[in-house]
Amino acid sequence: MTGTIIENLSGRKLAVLMTFLLLCQITCFLIGGLVAPTPANANSILGTVCQDTSTVKNDTTKWFYNRGRGSCKSINLEDLHQDISEADIVFAFQMPIPRDSNTLDYSRWQQNLIGVLQFEIKYHSQMEVKPRSVVTIDARLAYQNKGDPEDEWKLYTQSIEKRHLDCYIHNDEYLYNCSAIPLFELGSLYHDFYLLNVRLPVDTPDMNTNIGHLQDLWLTVIHQNGGFTMVWVSLKTVFFPCIIAILVWFWRRIHMLQRKPVLLEKMLLCLGLALCLLNMPLEYLTLHFDLPFMLLLGDIRQGVFYAMLFSFWLIFAGEHMLIQDISAQSSLKQYWRHLSAVAMGCISLFIFDMCERGVQLRNPFYSIWVTDIGTNLALTFIILAGISTGVYFLFLCYMVWQVFKNISNKRQTLPTMCSVRRLHYEGIIYRFKFLMLATLLCAALTVIGFILGQVAEGQWKWDENIEIEYTSAFFTGVYGMWNIYIFALLVLYAPSHKRWAVTENTSDTQNLSEEIEFNGIPSETSSEISSLTSYIRKVNID
Amino acid sequence: MASSSVFRFLILLAALVWIVATEDGRRRREPWTNGSWFTMGLVEFEKWSNQTELFSDKSRMCSRIRGLTPGQRRVCRRHKDHMPAVAVGVKNGITECQHQFRDRRWNCTVTTDDTVFGPLTFIASRETAFTHAITAAGVSLSVSRACRDGRLASCGCSRAARPRNLHNEWVWGGCGDNLEYGYKFTEGFVDIRERERKVKRGSREQGRQLMNRHNNEAGRRAVIKKSRVTCKCHGVSGSCSLITCWQQLASLREIGDYLRDKYDGATEVKVSRRGKLRLSNPHYSLPTAQDLVYLEDSPNYCVKNSSLGSLGTTGRVCNRTSAGIDGCALLCCGRGYNTKRTTVRERCGCKFHWCCHVRCNTCVKTTEIYTCK
Repeated sequence: MTGTIIENLSGRKLAVLMTFLLLCQITCFLIGGLVAPTPANANSILGTVCQDTSTVKNDTTKWFYNRGRGSCKSINLEDLHQDISEADIVFAFQMPIPRDSNTLDYSRWQQNLIGVLQFEIKYHSQMEVKPRSVVTIDARLAYQNKGDPEDEWKLYTQSIEKRHLDCYIHNDEYLYNCSAIPLFELGSLYHDFYLLNVRLPVDTPDMNTNIGHLQDLWLTVIHQNGGFTMVWVSLKTVFFPCIIAILVWFWRRIHMLQRKPVLLEKMLLCLGLALCLLNMPLEYLTLHFDLPFMLLLGDIRQGVFYAMLFSFWLIFAGEHMLIQDISAQSSLKQYWRHLSAVAMGCISLFIFDMCERGVQLRNPFYSIWVTDIGTNLALTFIILAGISTGVYFLFLCYMVWQVFKNISNKRQTLPTMCSVRRLHYEGIIYRFKFLMLATLLCAALTVIGFILGQVAEGQWKWDENIEIEYTSAFFTGVYGMWNIYIFALLVLYAPSHKRWAVTENTSDTQNLSEEIEFNGIPSETSSEISSLTSYIRKVNID
Repeated sequence: MASSSVFRFLILLAALVWIVATEDGRRRREPWTNGSWFTMGLVEFEKWSNQTELFSDKSRMCSRIRGLTPGQRRVCRRHKDHMPAVAVGVKNGITECQHQFRDRRWNCTVTTDDTVFGPLTFIASRETAFTHAITAAGVSLSVSRACRDGRLASCGCSRAARPRNLHNEWVWGGCGDNLEYGYKFTEGFVDIRERERKVKRGSREQGRQLMNRHNNEAGRRAVIKKSRVTCKCHGVSGSCSLITCWQQLASLREIGDYLRDKYDGATEVKVSRRGKLRLSNPHYSLPTAQDLVYLEDSPNYCVKNSSLGSLGTTGRVCNRTSAGIDGCALLCCGRGYNTKRTTVRERCGCKFHWCCHVRCNTCVKTTEIYTCK
């Protein structure tokens, strides 16, 4: 008779293991809170208004910047210039901006770059800016590397984009309050310096007419912090060999058995493989190669992992359903209804991601939210994913509820058994519930941490000098938690090799007596995942 | 022998008297606690900034700016390139002050001498409190803005005063917000005036120093208070699992509106013997760091009094229909008003064309202008 390790583990060993895992968890949290900086940082850059004196405006070799040799002639937009046309005006953003009299450059550890535009529009009572007016932006992005001549910028990408400009005003203010416009997302920060040139063309009579008296253009660039990437990649580097080792150990243990692996063991293996994929420290490659698809790949890796985790929970609950007729080997086909909810959600999110970040591989300025069709399409996929998640959780809750109902039903028959066996069964039920509790705890902690993070970010103020980086702690904490959770699952749900007959050396004398009782049960030869199911069957036979 | 020694003594005495007299005169001309550094707002830095050698180490720009104390000169020498931004900040502050007080009896009039606001700066009144707050706010805002342009290369990076290895710090944790830098620089540059001179504890001068520091702080805090936090979600698939927020600078108009409310609710304080500011009336509520405080009552701005710096309201334009402070009854202090009918041509129905053209119609309007007697 074989069970899983969790059933054969003594209470003390379980406690030691749990304490160890808890310590690992706390370490992960503290690393994020005390070592890592905030995950990302934003810098605001005020656009320099350059005057383009050339006659050919479509020349992409001509760049405008405000620092270094060949910098442009800047003008002040507050005064009106009657002699200048809109095609002559270029907003130049040179990033990163220098600090402490030093020229800074982007490091590849900073991973990605997101640009957000903000318009500062002066209020005039006679020319009001309507909400949701469309602004057309001619954006060109160039790059330069250390060692290049100061006036040599190479074209990275260019595009003419439309964006919605949402401005409103409270009675008699001086400036409109305009919403930020997401402009670009670079999946890789391969080069050292970047330069963005923005023009607001008026090619047709109704283009850029309702944008009012634009005074300033701000660009906020968000990059991941190098320190956070380092801590993150180090965590992955530590977790990756661990998960590989545990997976190898788990698979060897299953192969040493006489029987074929059951569904739950296969699911555990798949879950482990998904975690492997998530833990693979691919970020090292970005330090040497230009890999703009890293953002998309990161999304896919997380998606695969969560899909596997959700499917595992369903099947875990299903396999412990205790509704008998388990003569046949259970297979994935039994769960197709439940799993289709997971698949549906994942596929919709994947399509949405491909439409947004997939297209951004070709054009970093692309946004699906600009056109009405795009917005509807994106919303459709997001709502579909939301519905699937709702359906999934309904299924899961129903199944868990059924498991608990079955357990409490069977428990009523417990007092009729002899005391040794009863203690053993109670222990099994306790441990099963313990793991359910652990899952719930992990899920609840993730959700609570996430909500707290949102609240904390919403009330963000710089002068509250907090030493602990909450957001980083949340990320490393949650990441570590799910890793440890899966490590624990793989270890505790691996088949036990402890033969009941040869457990003389164990300190637990109860096991010995139980083993004798168990030997008389005829159903033991069938393959089973846990002795809980065997116990149910035995009760049926009784 | 005796006569020569008496003569020597007389000369010595005369010299002493002269020294004391000139010392007195100097002090009257440039006391420590007046707002004379506001002259920076009147300096035409645009003309200076064409000279590239202006910010070089050898440039004597800082000694050319009048009204700076020795401590401020030190800061100036260390951050020469910040000075145009400071000047713009002071200038914007003064303009904003004039906008906020355009309808009041005191309308933030600027004199041409070194004191900028005239003899009014010697009175620790509400109005002085406001001028300190608005200029501090203007400088703080202007420095923050100049940093974000990227042309002011010496702006700080992190919370630490000067990181040991800037490049590593930047890669590790990025650079902090410039709003913070503007706040800190202004604190260092403006408040140093009130700190560098030791005065008798509990004296009027110390009270003035404390008041100025409090009001400067209120101005700087107003910049932060009115800045808007904008956030961007950029987590998995663009979800809000990861949010980054930043401070968006407010316009000086919003800050001015906020500070004028603070001016209306300013608290009168007195200086205690221990050298702390105390409420003059214990029934008032305690002022916070965002509130303005003053020590002395304002002079009567209704009548012209050149020794106090009051110009009087004679000749000011008032609003006949308003019952508020800009109404003729209040603004003219009950002296009545003159009515004048004029025809004005003004632009109306304007349409703005990006980037640089405004097309307007001209309207002819007949209006009545009321001026105080």
